[in-house]
Amino acid sequence: MSYVLICPNCGPREVTDFGYGGELNPRPKETPSLRELGEYNYFRRNVAGVQREWWVHRSGCGEWFIAERDTRTNHVHWTKPVNEVFGAETDTAGAAAGGADGGGAAGGHGV
Amino acid sequence: MSGVSEGRLPEQSGERIERDSELSFTFDGREVSGLEGDTIGSALYANGQRTFSRSFKYHRRRGLLCCAGQCPNCLVAVDGAPGVRACTEPVREGMKVEHMNASPSLNFDVMRATDLVGGPFTPPGFYYKTFIRPRRFWPLYEKVLRHAAGLGKLRKSQPEREWRTEYRRRHADVLVVGGGAAGLNAAATAAELGADVVLADEGPEPGGRLLAEGGVTYARELVERARRAGVEILPNAPALGSFDGLVPVWQGDTLHQIRAQRQIFATGAIEQPLLFPGNDLPGVMLSGGARRLIGMYAVQPGARAVVATVDDRGLHAALALIDAGVEVVCVADLRERANGSAAGALQRMNVELLSGSTVLEARGRGELDSVVIGPPGANEGGRTFGCDLLVVSGGSAPATSLIAQAGGKTSYDEARGHFALAHVPDAVHVAGEVTGHAELEAAERSGMAAGADAAHALGFGDAQSRERADAERERLSATRASDSSVAVPPPVTSERDGKCFACLCEDVTAKDIHLSVEEGYDSIELSKRYTTTTMGPCQGRMCQLPAVRLMAKETGTSMADVGTTTPRPPWHAVPLGAFAGRPFEPAKRSSIHARHRELGANVMWAGDWRRAYDYGDPKAEAMAVHKAAGLIDVSTLGKLIVQGPDAGEFLDRLYPNRFSNLKPGRIRYGVIASDAGRIMDDGTICRLDDESFYVTTTSSGAGAIYDWFTWWLADWQLDVQIVDMTQGLSAVNLAGPRARAIMGRVTELDCSAEAFTYLDGKQAEVAGVPCLILRIGFVGEVGYEIHCPAAQGEHLWDALMDAGRELGVKPFGLEPQRLLRLQKLHILIGQDTDSESNPFGAAMSWIVKLDKEQDFIGKWALQHYENEQLETTLVGFTLQNGHVPTEGAVVMPENGSPMGQVTSARYSEKLGRVIGMAWVPAALAKDGARITISDEDKRFEGEVQTSPFYDPDGEILRS
Amino acid sequence: MSSLAFLSPGSSVTSRSPMEPGAAAAGAVFEERDGWKVAVSFPDEDLSRVGFADMSHLGKLEIQGDVAAVTGHDLKRGSALRADGAWFCPYSAQRAVVLCSPADTASLRDRLGAAAAGAPSLSSVIDTTTAQGALTIAGPLAGELFARFTALDLRPQVTPVFGFRPGSVARTGGAILCEAPDRYLMLFGAALGQYVWTVVADAAEHLGGGPVGVDALPSLDAAEAPDA
Repeated sequence: MSYVLICPNCGPREVTDFGYGGELNPRPKETPSLRELGEYNYFRRNVAGVQREWWVHRSGCGEWFIAERDTRTNHVHWTKPVNEVFGAETDTAGAAAGGADGGGAAGGHGV
Repeated sequence: MSGVSEGRLPEQSGERIERDSELSFTFDGREVSGLEGDTIGSALYANGQRTFSRSFKYHRRRGLLCCAGQCPNCLVAVDGAPGVRACTEPVREGMKVEHMNASPSLNFDVMRATDLVGGPFTPPGFYYKTFIRPRRFWPLYEKVLRHAAGLGKLRKSQPEREWRTEYRRRHADVLVVGGGAAGLNAAATAAELGADVVLADEGPEPGGRLLAEGGVTYARELVERARRAGVEILPNAPALGSFDGLVPVWQGDTLHQIRAQRQIFATGAIEQPLLFPGNDLPGVMLSGGARRLIGMYAVQPGARAVVATVDDRGLHAALALIDAGVEVVCVADLRERANGSAAGALQRMNVELLSGSTVLEARGRGELDSVVIGPPGANEGGRTFGCDLLVVSGGSAPATSLIAQAGGKTSYDEARGHFALAHVPDAVHVAGEVTGHAELEAAERSGMAAGADAAHALGFGDAQSRERADAERERLSATRASDSSVAVPPPVTSERDGKCFACLCEDVTAKDIHLSVEEGYDSIELSKRYTTTTMGPCQGRMCQLPAVRLMAKETGTSMADVGTTTPRPPWHAVPLGAFAGRPFEPAKRSSIHARHRELGANVMWAGDWRRAYDYGDPKAEAMAVHKAAGLIDVSTLGKLIVQGPDAGEFLDRLYPNRFSNLKPGRIRYGVIASDAGRIMDDGTICRLDDESFYVTTTSSGAGAIYDWFTWWLADWQLDVQIVDMTQGLSAVNLAGPRARAIMGRVTELDCSAEAFTYLDGKQAEVAGVPCLILRIGFVGEVGYEIHCPAAQGEHLWDALMDAGRELGVKPFGLEPQRLLRLQKLHILIGQDTDSESNPFGAAMSWIVKLDKEQDFIGKWALQHYENEQLETTLVGFTLQNGHVPTEGAVVMPENGSPMGQVTSARYSEKLGRVIGMAWVPAALAKDGARITISDEDKRFEGEVQTSPFYDPDGEILRS
Repeated sequence: MSSLAFLSPGSSVTSRSPMEPGAAAAGAVFEERDGWKVAVSFPDEDLSRVGFADMSHLGKLEIQGDVAAVTGHDLKRGSALRADGAWFCPYSAQRAVVLCSPADTASLRDRLGAAAAGAPSLSSVIDTTTAQGALTIAGPLAGELFARFTALDLRPQVTPVFGFRPGSVARTGGAILCEAPDRYLMLFGAALGQYVWTVVADAAEHLGGGPVGVDALPSLDAAEAPDA
């Protein structure tokens, strides 16, 4: 695995430059039921196909961004800064997530 | 003319040898003469050597076959390095060449018995079938098998620079793999259009088939043209694979990692062997091999030859043999009719040309002495010809492996009897014989077209160059029809007695594949794994196609249905050291590291830091902290500046407790939980001013917490900015009853108990260095954790050591710190907690502020845990009998199954007893409860203690 | 003391580079300059192939927020700007680092800090001088030397003079600035200084290069943007 991702700030870099944050997994906006909480914490769609996911350019600019990638081929359709995906008009990405296809806020690692 | 040249043919046009430049080397101790430009193989062959190696399993004699570095037959050890291909390795003066895999000698090999006995010993999987019973014999078997398995012996030790390569990253516009007529034309064309081009070729000199087939001058012109256009040409440089567009190319002591925007594969085709009994005898040679010996090294491959072919290639080889003075007694052409110029020429020379015939059997003891020719499948009869050379040409297999690794697909071509490219992925171009353009003119044109396409795709060139490329492609499609016809050979030409090898590398016979199918390994991928066909040094070059043919026959299916195995890297056999490269082990060191070394520290890895474990006497170091003062380097702590109007709110959302109400100049401990309520990290936070916080994390958690903070910040988009100062600041902890006195000597700051109280954070100069001083007490004594710019950290350390010398200050390491904090029941994240631990279980419910109006990470899960009955809880314990249990020892309840484990345990000299921390059933989490600890078959009785062992009320700490 | 004063080295104590042990072992001649102990020369230093010089003493100021308002410059993505003897290097639209001589660091920090305080949106300037080590690598084989420990594409057509490329170097986070033809400044985590020195020295030795002192490097004062 040595594909190239395009950091929205720095340009094309080897995938090893980046940290992976997993598929978008919106944090519940209101107190979830135990089942909803469990799903948010432990369940992922894990699709064989195209998904939106978090990446961080750990070895470069250090910023988080969103990528749309085909998990079967590692073909990356696009990468965008967070505010371009979630919209700059809302104060939190989580709130905007409802409008984005399959999108949503961070979460899910370190659990 | 020197003596050495006497055994050679008259000068061949384009020969590589220099007849006036003699070299000598040894082969198995015997002195051998060669010429500059020779390979080990050509020099030995010229000296009459016919056996070059012993085969993998049966220890059969093997001789030169391909002379192009493709097959396993000539693997030798050179100067102690095993696995070198004699046929491509240039001779050097004084080199020591030795045979491999034969004992005691190449000519007399006792392991040959495996071939002669055969039978039950040698079918596929024979190791597993034979050596499993009786089990107790395995150690003996293993010893024998270890000796018998593999090829060659590695040297026991070697200087690092000798075995490891240098990695070299090369970015390019276009990478061309293969330096034959097609590849050279492609590279030159792309470069002339302005592209930055690299060309990698396996051979010592680019040119491919041109070199041995009369095109040397042209090849050198092409190389010159490519160089002039700026192409970087890498000779002796096989491409090993394709990894998402990254192509590793191995060139001696360098491993090029080439990332090109466009790749052109002009990898050619591999001449295939024929399968018949005795097909591995020394004297059986591929036509390309014979031609290379003649054309490049002026070596006559034999005196009397038979040629067996399926297409014109063998006919051309026969003509070349005749030119080289070899008597060609018969040419067997599998085709019913052979037209064309080569056939005509042979007929004019009255060479016996047998159409519809092939070789049915090769005979000889040790070396070839005769072959039987007849129609394929004839298990009896046929004509026998005496000969010392059988030149075979079994058709070609396009070298598609690298293209397939890049995403290409192949499909079976009925007419040509091989798997041809059916799909070429994006950003990849192909040219030359790998695409079926075997004739020189077509190869050139396809190369020019591919080179132009690649360059044009990258925006080079203009309308004119595009027009030229289009014209080239049109002419190319017109030349295609002239390709000569091919007869597809049968899986085996006859079923006569004798071993018929499908895979020379692994000694797999046609019969072995038959057996493996009978045993149920009836798909090509299963058969590959069971028989190991295609897994040897040739990487399937010689055996993939024959194996597929055999599988199709054995399973009664078509070639297309059998398909090929997945091509995997490395495409070319390569020593493991080639992948080693420069060791990159990013080690972080504190700015005070040199001092620790001078003080005799035992240095260990702690995360990615090199840290002082102790300075030789951890017990004394811990006691010094209690009695006088100790100084420890804690520069490894994560250190983040979090600032902005929303900084307080940001931290409130990240931690289960509150920070927005922390007063400037004060410190609060915090534990970070995930949304699942699990403990991720801990640390102290000091508020520097209204909008700035100084956050410390654990040493190993620093990177993850920085990512965690910036991730949530990216999500929440609060008015907050974060700067990671972990590596920019040194930090030391000065602790002990005399710490305050030492501080008095190095700073003007009032460090009295009244002015600088516990959990205060103050800035001041210490020994002239600007510092942030945190009054916290991880180790339990009065302590000052002092943070300063790393460039002045060593100065700070020296100043504190100097000031404290007469007061008894001692440096202390990680180990004494672990003991000291254990006395205080301060947890170590990752040691006393794991990924399942939540703050309630870790006895830190006081830190969870569920009444906080603010939503925070982990809140919902922690609300849930608050109402759940805990199963286990983290507590302290003491053991009376002096045994220090292993960390990980099991906690047993009175009667029942194990429930809980010891996470930390030490003997405390200060307290005079063994102390520890353990997860125990919640019901036992009360002072005085008895627990049983089971440690390596012994049981110990312990007593639970929930408050710190040392200074339980923190009076000393706060004093 | 202001609330982040402890991030900047004090003026009464000599500051030391994380690569000092490596430089000392290679025979460096040190001089104190602007409060830093600087390796000014090495025996047999030679830039005819490739040389590397410890530049960790360069001042580094991290700007976050409204970079244009703080610096007074519009920074183009991927391209540094040289003004007043300092490099202005953009990491993103909201983040940049300024590299300057150690003598200028304090005044520049105060000047930019004042601009940040007056910027229309949250902006800050933090002295990160000690957080990063720096090496200048120069000479005709500079690109070849980098090729041995970084995947960054430094070919002139991709990284021209003034190009600024954050990315992995020696398998750790860093950045490379092309200061002039065949001359690059590389930044990396300060605690990794000794490690990076070892890697670069080993790779350079292979190419016939070695450490050089800062005095061996030609002055950059004449440096101008190629097509600013």
